[in-house]
Amino acid sequence: MAIPVLMPRQGQSVESCILGQWYKSVGDEVSEGDILFSYETDKASFEEEAKEDGILLATFFEEGDEVPVLVNVAALGKEGESFDEFKPGGETTIEVAPAETIEETPKVVEFEVEDNSPNKRIRISPLAKNMAKKLGVDTQALKGSGPHGRIIARDVETATTEKPAAQPVVSAAPKTVAAPAPSVVLEEGDDYEINSISNIRKLIANAMFQSLQNSAQLTHHMSADARKMMKLRKKFKKEFAEGNISQNVTINDLVCFAVIRALEKYPQANTHYHGDKMKWFKKVHLGLAVDTDRGLMVPALKNADDLSITGISSQLKQLSTAARNGNINPDLLNPAEATFTVSNLGNYGVEMFTPVINLPQTAILGVCTIVPRPKEIEDGVYGFVPMIGLSLTYNHQALDGGEATLFLAEIKSQIENLAV
Amino acid sequence: MPKNQYINPDEVRKPGQIEFTPIPVNQYSKTIEEEKVNFSNEDLVRIYHDMVVIREFETMLNLIKTRNEYNGVEYNHPGPAHLSIGQEAAAVGMAYTLGVEDFIFGSHRSHGEILAKGLSAIDKLTDEQLTEIMDTHFDGITLAPVKAGHTGTTKELAIKFLIYGTLAEVFARETGFNKGLGGSMHAFFTPFGVYPNNAIVGGSGDISVGAALYKKVNRKKGIVVANIGDASMACGPVWEGLAFATMDQFNELWEGDMKGGLPLIINIMNNQYGMGGQTCGETMGYDIAARIGAGVNADQMHAERVDGYNPLAVIDAYKRKRKIIEDKRGPVLLDVLTYRYSGHSPSDASSYRSKEEVEAWEAQDSIIWFGKELVKAGVATETELEAIKAGTTDLMTSSMKLAIDDEVSPHMDIEKQPNLIGEMMFSNQSIDKMEDREPEVNHPMEENPRVKQLKNKERFMFDENGKPFSKIKTYGLRDGLFEAIVDRFYKDPTLIAYGEENRDWGGAFAVYRGLTEALPYNRLFNSPISEASIIGTAIGYAMCGGRVIPEIMYADFLGRAGDEVFIQLPKWQAMSGNVLKMPVVIRISVGSKYGAQHSQDWTALAAHIPGLKVVFPVTPYDAKGLMNTALQGTDPVIFFESQRLYDIGEQFHEGGVPEGYYELPFGEPDIKREGSDVTILTIGATLYRALDAAKTLEEKYNLSAEVIDSRTLVPFNYEPVIESIKKTGRIIISGDASARGSFLRDLASNITELAFDYLDAPPIVVGSRNWITPAHELEDYFFPQPEWFIDAINERILPLEGHVNENDFTEAEQLDRNARGI
Repeated sequence: MAIPVLMPRQGQSVESCILGQWYKSVGDEVSEGDILFSYETDKASFEEEAKEDGILLATFFEEGDEVPVLVNVAALGKEGESFDEFKPGGETTIEVAPAETIEETPKVVEFEVEDNSPNKRIRISPLAKNMAKKLGVDTQALKGSGPHGRIIARDVETATTEKPAAQPVVSAAPKTVAAPAPSVVLEEGDDYEINSISNIRKLIANAMFQSLQNSAQLTHHMSADARKMMKLRKKFKKEFAEGNISQNVTINDLVCFAVIRALEKYPQANTHYHGDKMKWFKKVHLGLAVDTDRGLMVPALKNADDLSITGISSQLKQLSTAARNGNINPDLLNPAEATFTVSNLGNYGVEMFTPVINLPQTAILGVCTIVPRPKEIEDGVYGFVPMIGLSLTYNHQALDGGEATLFLAEIKSQIENLAV
Repeated sequence: MPKNQYINPDEVRKPGQIEFTPIPVNQYSKTIEEEKVNFSNEDLVRIYHDMVVIREFETMLNLIKTRNEYNGVEYNHPGPAHLSIGQEAAAVGMAYTLGVEDFIFGSHRSHGEILAKGLSAIDKLTDEQLTEIMDTHFDGITLAPVKAGHTGTTKELAIKFLIYGTLAEVFARETGFNKGLGGSMHAFFTPFGVYPNNAIVGGSGDISVGAALYKKVNRKKGIVVANIGDASMACGPVWEGLAFATMDQFNELWEGDMKGGLPLIINIMNNQYGMGGQTCGETMGYDIAARIGAGVNADQMHAERVDGYNPLAVIDAYKRKRKIIEDKRGPVLLDVLTYRYSGHSPSDASSYRSKEEVEAWEAQDSIIWFGKELVKAGVATETELEAIKAGTTDLMTSSMKLAIDDEVSPHMDIEKQPNLIGEMMFSNQSIDKMEDREPEVNHPMEENPRVKQLKNKERFMFDENGKPFSKIKTYGLRDGLFEAIVDRFYKDPTLIAYGEENRDWGGAFAVYRGLTEALPYNRLFNSPISEASIIGTAIGYAMCGGRVIPEIMYADFLGRAGDEVFIQLPKWQAMSGNVLKMPVVIRISVGSKYGAQHSQDWTALAAHIPGLKVVFPVTPYDAKGLMNTALQGTDPVIFFESQRLYDIGEQFHEGGVPEGYYELPFGEPDIKREGSDVTILTIGATLYRALDAAKTLEEKYNLSAEVIDSRTLVPFNYEPVIESIKKTGRIIISGDASARGSFLRDLASNITELAFDYLDAPPIVVGSRNWITPAHELEDYFFPQPEWFIDAINERILPLEGHVNENDFTEAEQLDRNARGI
């Protein structure tokens, strides 16, 4: 008997996905585990594997279609089996507009044309819009409960009070890297071509722009004596090589560890700024900027302050791998999920930069490369000491220069006196 | 209706006929020679002089309007100029005998009367008095331009001051008599007894009656002259003014020295045309306007037609009529026959009359004729008269030069002071009494039966267990109004109140019960059922310095006083350059149960008109406090009351309604119930239905409603409402007015603009339907009901779980109703 293939639901805020590419054609023989198609949410892209062996009997959507989640996209089965019952729009009613009944009234007043394009106009009250902005709630993903489906304040409230999704189960073994969302060539000239940009690119673009538009950002630079940290790194490396620990603890892990300790001492940096109020977090949810083929992603490591150095190391590794593979839980990419972000460009030799805050977070730490700098070792005696650059961008609306400096100095101190 | 006036059927059913006494027409026939016993040569020359001044003033304006120049001086005057060339003898004759304390009111064509009365007053005032008047008017601002370089006598200076102040006013200069805010048709100068001229035809017909009422009630010296045109005799408000002025009660019921008629002369400046309409032969049927007097009262208003082309004939009439008024047998009606050579306005081509007609009147021109007579009688020589003319031309030329000089006579600088006119709309003063003397009352306040009765009433609606007291024991909204009003009657001697059924009956809704006992007729009386005269007279009364509470029994009757409430009352404070105050509190009740013509909430009409303060309290505490504020102020207040609520007790103010005096500021909406989920802002009695809805919202839908009572419409402080919206994000605005064009819509629009970012849904207006108000049995389909609020919230603001709407609040319905105009 034939079985349907569903558009999976990736993260609970996702209502629909864009179908990326069919890897199998109708009539192809499919084995369990074969990749059937790729799809993307507005934050990440995924691949769907076949759950059973069989023939791909039918596909119900084409590449580029927006498909509501949990709707059938294809049918698998034996040759000749009927798949009509799986066609969306049959008995399935999810998100399918009912046939319009034309009323016999003399005047039909139409207010709303359902627009399913990703950039459709959202009906949202001014209050809800402002709340969503402050709370970092993505209104595209909200379902409105007001008149005409208008998103109203209570919808935003509901979205923020709902418990964040449980720790995502991320497969330890990295999957094959998903192909970046295909970019469509819109126009080709002699020496250029104009390409469409992916959803995620648009999203990053918007988030970065909004961040700089809507906050008062400035960056302080400082550097910390990295000798202690480098010594620890060497020790962990050795232990990992010897198999004593399962985690290869990196410099970045150690910096994150130090940052978490500093945040515990300076909770004002572990906050969200909402214009007329501040959200102070009792836990540290650490955002880690990860560079992926698809663009910048910042997954959040929830409750990072509960973790040991190896715990941090292993979890950060899992998150960054999932982000790079495109199968990260999209909920963790919401900037409101993290309380503070670390962005590390040290590996690329960057000596100093001005990271951009992930609103509504109050600050972000840029970690730079380690450079030997002259330092007074003892009275009048100078030597070259490896110093790691720290660039703290903070929202001056939320923090004053003094507080930010003290916080940055605390990170420096934690790095220099690292105890793990 | 007073019980002591027995209507005897045997008497009133007897057959008989009405006898009229003959009405004199142009009976004056004396020569100058004969009049020499009454006038000195100087007097006669002065009469000539005054006529020449008026003629030249009007001629100057005519030339400026038609040729943009006078005597070689160029000027463009874009504003109006309704000239009275030809009517000089009538104006001078009218004003000649009047004292400074006699007041004249006029029309759009009153330059001549201003000058005639001004010149008459200047002649009668001492130099010291004149100096004081000129120095103090706007702190000498009007005087300064003419005083500079003046070398003559004080009286000569005063004449320059009069011409300049009037002309600068015509040219809208800040140095004019009314800061240029009145202009040609409204110029006046009260220190010379010149009261507002009125651009609405017949506008002075009832206002002047109020001025006469002021003089009588407050025992002020002087008479009041209403200069109104022959065509205005068709205007309803003029007839209403006549009816009010001739009420029997002045003679029949008013007691002691108050007994007797009003000191009023209705002076019809009969130039025989109403714009182009000929009043005799075309647009009216009275033939001779003096005939009207016979239709008004048994005295026929002592009516008489006087030849207004002979100043001495008019003076003679005024001397005789003054005697009648001094005998308290007023009012008087004079039909002063005259003729204007100039058109209605410079744009008038006089297509309605023949050249021959104008020339025939010019051939009998009063100035030429009077001059010849003076020469003939040896009173003056031709040379002397020519000198007067030449001097007058010089006077006009120099006055014009000053008045058009932007340095000397600037316009108001609105660029520098953008709110200058705005600040002049209200006088915003706090004054216990308009005059300091002992108020006239029948007994000490504590002996008043109503005051005693109120001592035993429960000033809060509920007992300590939350149980309401019986209606009869409860201190109601009408009691709050009464306390504020009776208090003011014992404070302010000028305060009077009148309207339909105000005395004996105690007002249709018993607010005034007890006042009849406390006050003599001259402070509380029944008026004719005639709203234009009720409000019009109140305006005149307040203009002269009194405080007054006229009553309109139902808001629906506002239209009957449309000109008075919308054109006269709100405008005069600003139009006078803040010379006048307008402490008029109009009580208006909003009805229900009485169908289409007695149940309309017309708050929006009042609120729309700049210059009115509009309040609508709906609790006893608010009613008393806001009435106290209204009566302490100096501005016109439209004080709405709801007939649904006269007996309602106080349920909000802790401790009940205070016994003592307190004021509540205008403009502050009041939170009657605190809540956090939705705001309901109400106007008027709808408050109580909103509170019922709030209860249901709480109990059935777990929704906490904040209910705000607007209390005042103008002024209105939006801040408390915006604060509430910051909390709730949602608002419904409700009142009993038909929603279209209502103040509810104005509130909604301002709230949307001011609180947009805090709104979770558009402000929704829940008003009455745009229908006739149906009978009581169907009223619940017309006025907002508690379930309407819930339906509106569910449909337009916040879908309520499990709620099914009974009333159609859909957008489609709203569009459809609007498209159909219902």
